[in-house]
Amino acid sequence: MGNSKHLGLFLLAPAGIFVILFFLAPVVLTGVFGFTNMSTATGITGGSYMVSESAMRPLRSRFGEDALADQLSKRIYTIDEEGLQAAAEAGGDAAALTELRSNFFNESFGNRREVETAIKSLNARPSTTRGIKIISAQFVKSVINVRFDTFEELLTSIADFGIELSDDQIEALADVTYTGWTFTLQNFKTMVELPDTRKTLINTLFYVFTTLILFNTGFALVLSISTHYMPTGPAGFFRSIWLLPRVTPPVLYVLMWKWLAWDTGFLSVILEPMGFAPRNWMLDSPTNAWVFIILINGIVGASMGMLIFSSAIKAIPASLFHASEVDGATRRQQIWHIILPQLRWPILFITIYQTLSLLTSFEYILLATDGGPGGATEVWALSTYLKALQNYGGALQYGYGAALSLVLVVIGISVSLIYLKLFDFKNLTAPPKIE
Amino acid sequence: MRILLDKFTKKFGNLTVIDEMDLEIHDGEMIALLGGSGCGKSTTLFAICGIHKVNGGRILFGDKDVTNVTSQERNVGVVFQSFALYPHMSVEQNIGFPLKLRKESQSEIKRKVDEIAEMVHIENLLQRRPGELSGGQQQRVALARALIRRPDVLLLDEPLANLDATLRLEMRSEIRRIQRETGITAVLVTHDQTEAMSMCDRIAIMDAGKIVQITEPKDMYDNPVSDFVAGFLGSPPIAFLSGQIKDGNFIEPSTKTKIPLSGNITKNHNGRNVRIGVRPEFFQPGSGITIGGKVTFIESQGRETLFNVTLSNGTILRSIQGKRSESKIGDQVEWGIDAQKILVFDEDGARL
Repeated sequence: MGNSKHLGLFLLAPAGIFVILFFLAPVVLTGVFGFTNMSTATGITGGSYMVSESAMRPLRSRFGEDALADQLSKRIYTIDEEGLQAAAEAGGDAAALTELRSNFFNESFGNRREVETAIKSLNARPSTTRGIKIISAQFVKSVINVRFDTFEELLTSIADFGIELSDDQIEALADVTYTGWTFTLQNFKTMVELPDTRKTLINTLFYVFTTLILFNTGFALVLSISTHYMPTGPAGFFRSIWLLPRVTPPVLYVLMWKWLAWDTGFLSVILEPMGFAPRNWMLDSPTNAWVFIILINGIVGASMGMLIFSSAIKAIPASLFHASEVDGATRRQQIWHIILPQLRWPILFITIYQTLSLLTSFEYILLATDGGPGGATEVWALSTYLKALQNYGGALQYGYGAALSLVLVVIGISVSLIYLKLFDFKNLTAPPKIE
Repeated sequence: MRILLDKFTKKFGNLTVIDEMDLEIHDGEMIALLGGSGCGKSTTLFAICGIHKVNGGRILFGDKDVTNVTSQERNVGVVFQSFALYPHMSVEQNIGFPLKLRKESQSEIKRKVDEIAEMVHIENLLQRRPGELSGGQQQRVALARALIRRPDVLLLDEPLANLDATLRLEMRSEIRRIQRETGITAVLVTHDQTEAMSMCDRIAIMDAGKIVQITEPKDMYDNPVSDFVAGFLGSPPIAFLSGQIKDGNFIEPSTKTKIPLSGNITKNHNGRNVRIGVRPEFFQPGSGITIGGKVTFIESQGRETLFNVTLSNGTILRSIQGKRSESKIGDQVEWGIDAQKILVFDEDGARL
């Protein structure tokens, strides 16, 4: 069976393709996009060249070419063959056009008023203002807001327009008129400059560690240890109850929290007789919003730790509990000296796993407060999502979003490394030295 | 310290495992609870150390009733079958754990650990983790941990079951030495009759939650109260022959062999169906009352050889012989039973 090696590769191929398509490629692309200015404005494919208002602004500010910008922004009117033909097709008066050709052919006017004055001076001038405007509109010449596929076409057009460019000016134009995306470090500079970034970072750290310590690890430990000391039946019942939020569809789960917190919801109804005005308790203040966000995430998150810790406690030999009892350990000492040391590995696992999942998951926040009130609960992952994929203005900043998520990856890896150090990972996994 | 179980009863749900058991363990004595699995010997041990709550009766340490005292307060030392060492602690921490729980000072703990470690010969292993120790070393650590707070009683739950054969022999005498040195009252739970006989002052043999007989090992071997006890002690085990008492003799029906029995046994029992027990060392060539059969199995144990002799009705007698015997499988032999040493049991298995 010399070719069994190839058979393995063959069988793994579909998985490999999926991993590359749906995991590796997005990751690599995100890494690349983070260093671009890609957005809805630039598109994700290559761009074209266009003299636009927004392109003139950097031409003035960055290159100091105010004169050139003014020139390029101008519209002129020239009586040429092309314009005459277009005017005829648009329904311009034929006699007027013939006379216009003979009197003004190849003459240019600085603005539309001058052209129209010229038309009015004709003997066969159209009787209505509308007739004049139909003709005048056809002779406008401008490079502004015209899309060119290549820079050379743009240059030709500018030359036609009668503007001569120096080499520096060509270089500057090539830079500012390109409408596609380019590689840049601007995203990271922006990130450092924006005060929102700092706030989002603090929000994220607060959210992750509060939820993690209070619920995903802390409360999970309380649940698993307390159910360990219960009789089997009630213990199973309690664990099942705490699993319910996890098996509830997230949208419905958050909806129930919203019902609880709405101004006509459960909380308002029972608190009103006590003198508290009905209000949306969840979005009433940043503190309230955080309390709800942490409860919503924590109550779901605790169940996973509870399962892992419970099974780990079950795996501790009963004789260790018996031995510690006859050694004189009270229940508290038993928890501290026997259970917790034995749970070091599961606690490390849950802490790392939940830190990473809290860092990257934002669905409950999105559904519950959408980062509100006023961005008070906007965490890094949610911010990334809003910037890159969900913006009310419709201007999606793919590049900036990718850069934000890159930072998230760096944070995740650093935090994991710190944990491994803290929990003395090397010692945890060292092979036993049995004689 | 004297331990007394007074009408001790233990139930699991509706199942009564031990019903009104009485047992007195003398001060400084080492006693074995011997029996097959499920006989209640470990349950008794767990009740003495307080891990199991009792459902009836009393447990006394000395004159103190500890029936409702928790295991934390009971001051017992236990060596578990799996040793139950704390894997995340060093040997030193394991041994010192009971003292640490009692908040004794570091220096005091250190002194006592060193002292006990010297006694069980593990003073050079104190910094290791249990995972880095051999089975015998773990056993010694478990013993040290059980002994360090000078318990009123040392309980050993199948302490040798997880060791290999040579270690078992070594630890047998080690445990006995340490028990003698400390003078501690000890209870050994085991299913191995050799362990019980070699290590303990007395054996309490248990069957179905009851103590069948309690006495010194040699006395139990020589004078078992029932066929169960006779069958449990001794390796290779005793063999039984069924027959009838007639005129002061035991008659084996298939070979018509007549074995004279002492008058004490036969009077009042004439014509009764009985079973006699013959230990392998009392069924030998060239002496006693001969009985004929065929050699069907030979097992050489090195110094000794074990023979199975099958009678014409299929009953098997065992013989263990020190001298090299010429007999081969299939040989017809006529070997003798020592009539003085046979044990007679009635239909219910009680000794006559």
